[in-house]
Amino acid sequence: MVKVEVFSSPGCGKCAQAKNMLKTIVEEMGQGRITWRDVNILEEMDYAVELGVMSSPAIAIDGKLAFSSLPSPDKLRTELGKRLV
Amino acid sequence: MLTIGKLALRVDVTTDTVRYYEKEGLLAPARKTDAGYRLYDDVAIRRLRFIKQAQHCGFSLAEIGELLALKSSDAACCKDVKSVAIEKKLHLEHKIKALRVMSQALSELITVCDDETRPLQECPILAALESSMEKQLKGDRNG
Repeated sequence: MVKVEVFSSPGCGKCAQAKNMLKTIVEEMGQGRITWRDVNILEEMDYAVELGVMSSPAIAIDGKLAFSSLPSPDKLRTELGKRLV
Repeated sequence: MLTIGKLALRVDVTTDTVRYYEKEGLLAPARKTDAGYRLYDDVAIRRLRFIKQAQHCGFSLAEIGELLALKSSDAACCKDVKSVAIEKKLHLEHKIKALRVMSQALSELITVCDDETRPLQECPILAALESSMEKQLKGDRNG
């Protein structure tokens, strides 16, 4: 099971729309093989720091920082594709 | 209107600091006298206090410049400032984590030294630092 974690702060306007699009990709590609978790960076600051998150929003895949900002749909597809092989 | 000396005194900074902030584009006098002396109004006092407070929160002058730009931007809103603050906090937390690691490394070195009367040549702390440097050099060569 691939684990996608999206770090952002509540009310982050620029994140919401882009996040929804990425979430749709995850659901399409994953079909039960990918989990998605929204992480409130303010509530889980220690965890964010542990993974090396330096800015918000950011995405970790399988417990490792994969994107320090929200990626394009293609980049996320490529990254997930590597893990689903 | 305040002269630079009075402004500095009011906000508890030096006149050099005020000039430096001006050079960095963070502050400007309201006007100058005919003789070229700078004169400041209440806006400058508030701006200087803002700068000092932001410095207390760990913001660099460049970052304070960004905050001041956001503050006067019609297009910006509270969440823009909040995201700057969150990023600053992340950076600070990273630094704190790195400092904890350093502190832990020092604790380990201090524990190694169980006999303070030993001559300097036998100092286990110095020996440990030297051996870790050698390891690092070997690692660099191999890597």
